[in-house]
Amino acid sequence: MDKESSGSSNPDSRRAGGLGLFGSSAGPQYSKTELAGVPLTGMSPLSPYLNVDPRYLIQDTDEFILPTGANKTRGRFELAFFTIGGCCITGAVSGAVNGLRMGLSETRNMAWSKPRNVQILNMVTRQGATWANTLGSLALLYSAFGVIIEKARGAEDDLNTIAAGTLTGVLYKSPGGLRGAARGGLVGLTLSGLYALYSNWHHLKGSSSTRY
Amino acid sequence: MEEYAREPCPWRIVDDCGGAFTMGAIGGGIFQAVKGFRNSPSGMNHRMRGSLTAIRTRAPQLGGSFAVWGGLFSMIDCGLVKVRGKEDPWNSITSGAMTGAILAARNGPVAMVGSAAMGGILLALIEGAGILLTRFASSQFPTGPQFAEEPAPMPASSFGDYRQYQ
Repeated sequence: MDKESSGSSNPDSRRAGGLGLFGSSAGPQYSKTELAGVPLTGMSPLSPYLNVDPRYLIQDTDEFILPTGANKTRGRFELAFFTIGGCCITGAVSGAVNGLRMGLSETRNMAWSKPRNVQILNMVTRQGATWANTLGSLALLYSAFGVIIEKARGAEDDLNTIAAGTLTGVLYKSPGGLRGAARGGLVGLTLSGLYALYSNWHHLKGSSSTRY
Repeated sequence: MEEYAREPCPWRIVDDCGGAFTMGAIGGGIFQAVKGFRNSPSGMNHRMRGSLTAIRTRAPQLGGSFAVWGGLFSMIDCGLVKVRGKEDPWNSITSGAMTGAILAARNGPVAMVGSAAMGGILLALIEGAGILLTRFASSQFPTGPQFAEEPAPMPASSFGDYRQYQ
């Protein structure tokens, strides 16, 4: 009597659920059309606990608690040392490889002896040092310009990247006169433009990623 | 001031390399600017040009040497941290000595020992200064609750009473 007074849907769905789970007919038979009309109030056929409002499942991007005074992402100044160090090391490695290539090709006609090894080693270290210095100073100029432009504008976006790259190219090639500076600026503009494009590719393509 | 956050060990090497390059390049730039200025023929045009040339050629070289020193130091430091399993000033001092030794390897064993001593002493000074600074900075804040006082004045009766309730 209590079961019937509390609502006819519950015992029906429970029994229907039981039949669905265990398959064999352990109780009164209900036709499929009768079962289809039963409303599942807050219960899913699998479990009565899957009744969470999906609005509570959305993950917010502000899920990290930041200490006072900290930004969400790293600013240009914090990234600067990493950029400069990375460029130095990359330059050293590529310079060493280039030096090995040049040393091997220049001493092609010598037998494997100590002078040949010393010459190859000298080429490797000199080329490695030169490339590391060049790339490192380029990265230093770029980072310095980036920080200055960001502080001057008060905002941070890819325009800073492109402007810093262009200014670096201009300054680096300025001993070559106005024409050299213009060419350097163009190279800087191209490289930093490509980098900005690469880092914003998904945003520009208008990706349809779902936010979960 | 915000807390000083260092990167975990592999990336620390790149960071230190970059920091050392920056120090060397900027310091070298200023130094070479003055030196190039002074070592040029008289006349402001000549002097400025000489100064700029000196900066362009010498500052990256000094930055590069600093970067090698810093990168090697950081690599040995990270290696010691991984081997010993802890971080303390002794790691830095040992790393400084080994870096000095390695970078003087081409000049023979005596030069290596001398370079190692210089590197170790330099790092010991830096670490000592850091420890002193930390102690000074922390002594400016009020100290926590003192537990050294109050050993005795607990009334003995309360302890005697509880036996009755066993």
